Amino acid sequence: MVTPSESNAAELMSAALDEQLAPEEEEAFAAMLAASPEAREEFEQLQDMLKLVKGLPEVEAPPDFFEKVAKKIRRRKLMRGETFLLVSLPFQVLSVMIVLAIAVTYMMLQLERDPASKLVRDAATPSDGVSEPAGDEDAPDKPRDETVTRPPAE
Amino acid sequence: MKRLKEGDERAFQELVTTYQNRIFSLTLRFMGNREEAEDLAQEVFLTVFRAIGSYRGEGRFYTWLYRIASNTCKNRLKYLKGRQHHRSIDIEDSPQAQLPSEEGGARQSLQSQIPGPEAVVRGNRLQRAIQEEIAQLDAEHRLLIVLRDIQGLSYHDIIRITGLAEGTLKSRLHRARLALKKRMDRHMR
Repeated sequence: MVTPSESNAAELMSAALDEQLAPEEEEAFAAMLAASPEAREEFEQLQDMLKLVKGLPEVEAPPDFFEKVAKKIRRRKLMRGETFLLVSLPFQVLSVMIVLAIAVTYMMLQLERDPASKLVRDAATPSDGVSEPAGDEDAPDKPRDETVTRPPAE
Repeated sequence: MKRLKEGDERAFQELVTTYQNRIFSLTLRFMGNREEAEDLAQEVFLTVFRAIGSYRGEGRFYTWLYRIASNTCKNRLKYLKGRQHHRSIDIEDSPQAQLPSEEGGARQSLQSQIPGPEAVVRGNRLQRAIQEEIAQLDAEHRLLIVLRDIQGLSYHDIIRITGLAEGTLKSRLHRARLALKKRMDRHMR
């Protein structure tokens, strides 16, 4: 009788457990079990264990599984789209946009710093008692608020 | 397949709903962690969506899909081990696993096959133990156990998915089963 090699024995054992033995292998496997009580015991134990493994409950994906996948796809597409938009703009257009942005920022800063233009703006703004300069309070010719300074008429 | 390659969203939805349970089951049994498994299953379909143009239609579609799923699982496991972040929770203890099938949980329990209250308790305990021990095997072993013994794929399909030769598949499957049996011995006594 030919004793199967270790790897052969493993292959036979797998095939037997899966009921995939070829007719010519069945004889070799039966002979292997007959010759080795350890192999028989191992085979029986593996059979028992596989019953348990195959008896594990079936599982189902969550009901909103597709929605989650679709959401991820949309999010990644959007991310790719934004990148694509930036890269795909012509270089000249990007340059003009950057120069314009710098120019606008510079002009706004200059307006803030220029005292003449600040005065013009202040003059153009109507007095509301809050923005009035503090020095004007003591000016002698400036009319006072009549509701406060004048006595009531008799 | 033509509609899929043209980017038809409805065709993609049909594909996802057809295979989502099988892929989720694979990732869940492989990872042993429901949250990780769901994220991983989503990643599998994202990869399919991106790579569908490169699918040449050779062989069955689902073996291509399973190949993506297997590689995604193995890569994630490698990543998690690298970060030493892997944790496995007892998935059959999670509330969702106890819900009826319409709610995304267990459909057919092992306990229903074993009569008597003691047997039910033992069945539950063994189920938990099996899942825990599968999640402790090395990646190649757990993949073969999940594909063959849980998902019931044929040798032919597993060969197409893993690229293993038939003899190698049988001997590795045997080693995987022996490794699981060894881990299960203390629970079976």
